[in-house]
Amino acid sequence: MTDLNSIQENKYTAGFETITDSESFEPGLSEDIVKKLSAIKNEPEWVTEFRLKAFAHLQTIKEPTWAHVNYAPIDYQALSYYSAPKFRNKEDIPQEILDTFEKLGVPLHERDALLGIENKNENIIPTVAVDAVFDSVSIATTFQEELKKQGIIFCSISEAIQEHSELVKEYLGSVIPAKDNYFACLNSAVFTDGTFCYIPKGVKCPMELNTYFRINARNTGQFERTLIIADADSYVSYLEGCTAPAYDENTLHAAVVELVTHDRAEIKYSTVQNWYPGDENGVGGVLNFVTKRGLCKGESSKISWTQVETGSAVTWKYPSCILRGDNSVGEFYSVAVTKGKQQADTGTKMLHVGKNTKSTIVSKGISFGDSSNTYRGQVRIGKTATNSRNYTQCDSLMLDNSKALTLPVVSQYNNSSIVEHEASAGKLSEEALFYLQSRGLDEENAVNCVVNGFCKDVFQKLPLEFAAEANKLLSVTLEGAVG
Amino acid sequence: MLVTQEFTVKVNDEIILDNINLEFGPGIHIIMGPNGVGKSTFAHALMGNPKYQTDGAVEFHGKDLLAMETWERSRAGMFMSFQNPTPISGLSNFQFVKQCLDANNSKISLAEKLNDFRNHTYNLRLTEDWDKKQLNVEASGGEKKKNELIQMLMLNPKCVILDEPDSGLDVDALQTLTKTIEDFAKEDKIVIIISHYENLIKNLNVDSVTILGKDKTVRGDVELAYSVLEEGFSIIE
Repeated sequence: MTDLNSIQENKYTAGFETITDSESFEPGLSEDIVKKLSAIKNEPEWVTEFRLKAFAHLQTIKEPTWAHVNYAPIDYQALSYYSAPKFRNKEDIPQEILDTFEKLGVPLHERDALLGIENKNENIIPTVAVDAVFDSVSIATTFQEELKKQGIIFCSISEAIQEHSELVKEYLGSVIPAKDNYFACLNSAVFTDGTFCYIPKGVKCPMELNTYFRINARNTGQFERTLIIADADSYVSYLEGCTAPAYDENTLHAAVVELVTHDRAEIKYSTVQNWYPGDENGVGGVLNFVTKRGLCKGESSKISWTQVETGSAVTWKYPSCILRGDNSVGEFYSVAVTKGKQQADTGTKMLHVGKNTKSTIVSKGISFGDSSNTYRGQVRIGKTATNSRNYTQCDSLMLDNSKALTLPVVSQYNNSSIVEHEASAGKLSEEALFYLQSRGLDEENAVNCVVNGFCKDVFQKLPLEFAAEANKLLSVTLEGAVG
Repeated sequence: MLVTQEFTVKVNDEIILDNINLEFGPGIHIIMGPNGVGKSTFAHALMGNPKYQTDGAVEFHGKDLLAMETWERSRAGMFMSFQNPTPISGLSNFQFVKQCLDANNSKISLAEKLNDFRNHTYNLRLTEDWDKKQLNVEASGGEKKKNELIQMLMLNPKCVILDEPDSGLDVDALQTLTKTIEDFAKEDKIVIIISHYENLIKNLNVDSVTILGKDKTVRGDVELAYSVLEEGFSIIE
């Protein structure tokens, strides 16, 4: 019998560094840096103002300490707030960066599109359009022209600020104000790039929109900003993937994602997060402090978050929904796997405001080694949210010395709504593993069977291409965990 | 051939089975014994349950069984049915069997596997959607026993140890069980059954009966089983 308690090796396959010529700011955070950042991006005045206001507020607040995580204090002055590979235009992307995305498995037809070849074979209908973000900038966005035909805007947020300034202005910070929390405030001051999507009225986006975030530079914070607007009767499925090299230092990643759905619109947002988790002793790794929130603004609109979190040294993340429109629906499906010294404090908030609003939360936490895995959830059914419903299910699966915590908060301010909560916590038992192995499955396969079965409800919610990736990622993660 | 020599099993340094010397050739073998004597332990230890520490030697078709990991024992052709198999949610009965067959490098096509599985489901009178049901989740005691049999039939091992396969089965199911075991044993298999049920024993062509006693092990033919069932385990003392 192999020793289940040992974490043999780290199999983080995306941990390579790309050597490329880049332009970076000197470390340090100040009003001047914020101005310099805004200037280098040639931003309109309102964006500079937005940043400066956030920066001013940041001086008056402190990092939150309520999360169930421990990490060394972040020296914000030691970080660089901008790093971009050098290239003049999109036809001139350095080969090593293209190679990086190929190595990370961004599919070939997308890479062809990255090179500007576009799809020459008429028979192949692209299923995914990609926005590739490398450190502080978006490198390329594919199939923009294709999408434009239907009025869909899919571009980097920097480009959107230039080309669609009024639209961005209307929504930026409307769901997550700069003052929302420390990391959101920091992001509002220094966000570098990210993705912007706008789906016009009545349009069902014909392909999955995918942003791939890659951190490469050392000691650089990544602060991306994503804004997705689904206008009335529209639909979009958006995917987000992320990786980073294996450095000994912690890398700060503080992103903000805002979603808005109008009447009867739907956004399906899926994340496979595989930031570098640090080594087996807890050295290095990404600090993933992310604020994600969706506003179901219109009636009968829907926002669905699905996340598979396997990476990062520390995760602090609560994708939430504000159900303002009557009959609107919010969903949160999450699998969070922690191993070694990883710490995850993740969950969701469902804020019911409109009548007949519905929310579903399914959270699966899997922890190995010395890791800790916390579910933190808040369901608030307000006075106006009559006849609303919430269903919450939180399951934890533990192995070794790991810790799992479930911290749900439910508050209900009317009598016509129904709230249900189910929770389970279990150890991955030796008996179960023995049973599976007695049928010829080796230990790794046996663990895989249990964990995959445990996550099934959530994996079923992922788009097909992503579900396969998530499955693969999970088994690679488990390889390292079980040894 | 399965041969145990001075086979000793301990749990947390406490000896459960001491110095067991037994041989099992092709055919049907019954193991009986008083409660708590270690019959299930015998099965689990042969299969390599990490809960138990073993001593002595066990030879299985010329191989050193105790040197193998549990899954290697399975792939070498050993199988045990569990009295109370663990539920695994999210994993379907068929998916599980398919994965086990794949792990054993089975050359049978997926369609054939599913077809075989459904045939067994039908023969054992399980529900039509049995292949899609989750492994041992919300299954009755009888259904679990039948499902263990399906796994046995699908994996087609050389030697099986059935740990009280008859408990919890109704009369009809018991008949199906005996027929399944008889058919299976015809193919030159070693079938070891831990059971106390006369109804099962009398309907099988039993080759040997072993009584695991507190202090000694006695072997005989089927008459030994009938004597024990009539007079109790004291006859071996």
